[in-house]
Amino acid sequence: MQHLTEEELVSHYYHDSDAPGAPEHLGTCAECRSQYDTIRGVLALVNEAPVPERSAEYGEQVWNRLRWKLGSERRRRRGWQSIAAIAAMLAVAFFAGQLWRARRETTPTIAGLQTGVTAVAQKPAADAQNRILLVVLSDHLDTSERVLIEFVNSNPNRPALLEDQQKRAGELVSANRLYRATAAEQGDDRVTDFLSDLEPVLIEIANAGPQASAEKIGQLQKRIESKGLLFKVRVLSAHVTGAERSPAPIDSDTL
Amino acid sequence: MRPEAATNPMTVSESNLSEMETGDIATISRARSGDADAFRLLVERHSRAIFRVAHRMTGNEHDADDVVQETFLRAYRQIDKFEERANFSTWIHRIAINCSLDLLRARVRHDKHHAGGIEDEEMSRTLQTNDPQPDRLMLSAELQKHVIAAMELLSGNERTAFVLRHYEGMPVEEIGRTLGIQVNAAKHTIFRAVKKLRESLQPFVRSTQCNI
Repeated sequence: MQHLTEEELVSHYYHDSDAPGAPEHLGTCAECRSQYDTIRGVLALVNEAPVPERSAEYGEQVWNRLRWKLGSERRRRRGWQSIAAIAAMLAVAFFAGQLWRARRETTPTIAGLQTGVTAVAQKPAADAQNRILLVVLSDHLDTSERVLIEFVNSNPNRPALLEDQQKRAGELVSANRLYRATAAEQGDDRVTDFLSDLEPVLIEIANAGPQASAEKIGQLQKRIESKGLLFKVRVLSAHVTGAERSPAPIDSDTL
Repeated sequence: MRPEAATNPMTVSESNLSEMETGDIATISRARSGDADAFRLLVERHSRAIFRVAHRMTGNEHDADDVVQETFLRAYRQIDKFEERANFSTWIHRIAINCSLDLLRARVRHDKHHAGGIEDEEMSRTLQTNDPQPDRLMLSAELQKHVIAAMELLSGNERTAFVLRHYEGMPVEEIGRTLGIQVNAAKHTIFRAVKKLRESLQPFVRSTQCNI
């Protein structure tokens, strides 16, 4: 039998599809045996590669860092559940309205009563719509805050690790435009102004890319801090959360 | 003639994990129904093992910590998809491997943009590993440094394939699926990794054998 190739020796070590007669050959061929012993020795050395030990409290430390992120996740899930419930409520209100309209067309005598009922039905529908906007805005602010915090606290010399924030910032940009336009339409200057400040920053984070220089990232981090964006997002988020519980126009004097 | 199974670290850890797994079943059930304390227990139970895999994959303490965080975040998002009959430890390890792969790929993209710096760094590493001076080595600490340097010479795919085969005991077919390559390519990648390690570390094998 010919000598075993290095690849066959590695396959033999890992018990991966042995070449025919390989074990027997290794038993009789000193040269192949020596090669094999070297590979085995190298791989035994690799087992010595140190892995830093983590203390018994490591799991708790991981949990403490993770906890607030999971809080946002739960909030997001609840937000979507609320939206689904509200959407279902709106659908029911819509069909009820259709039913009333059909009845009014067939029984014109209750037209006066219908007018009153429609007016009453429209108010909860408007409240529900407002609540949906507050839930999604609250979620948007929450995610933006998280992205900003992670970005500001990241190491400018390790732009490769910013990929997750960049991706999320990119996803937030289009939503931010939509909420800004809605807020402007509703005449909510405070929300509009904040979202207008936030948008270019999100775009810059999203476009920073893995090739961004430490200097550029550092400048952007300083700009976020100097504009007080983190403070503003927290204050606005607190207002929106309060309004979410009892929908009312957002108090516009704080920002 | 062949290495004993016990030399594979995965074999040792698997027995501990099976004990862990018994305690996981009820906890996972609670975590799936939204019990945050139950998820906390899973995090506390598995963090150290996940850190070890992540460190072997990334070769970097800071990155490994990031991978641990991201792993549990993804696990939380996907826990509804976890089948209770499955092994939680295997499932969470698979997530950690994917997170590490994402990080390694991001690192490669970043390195491509800083090719000059990386080449210099690689050159200095090569010079270090080509200058073993075995007789002057303090066996344990110095040797570990050379093993780390040798591992750093592997490409992302080589390192991943090697770690999965050598430390995690993953079959070649599964490594191929994980890396999105053919089985033969996966096998060849492992071989290339071992070859590189051999080139870097062979002098130390001899010196170790002489010293023994």
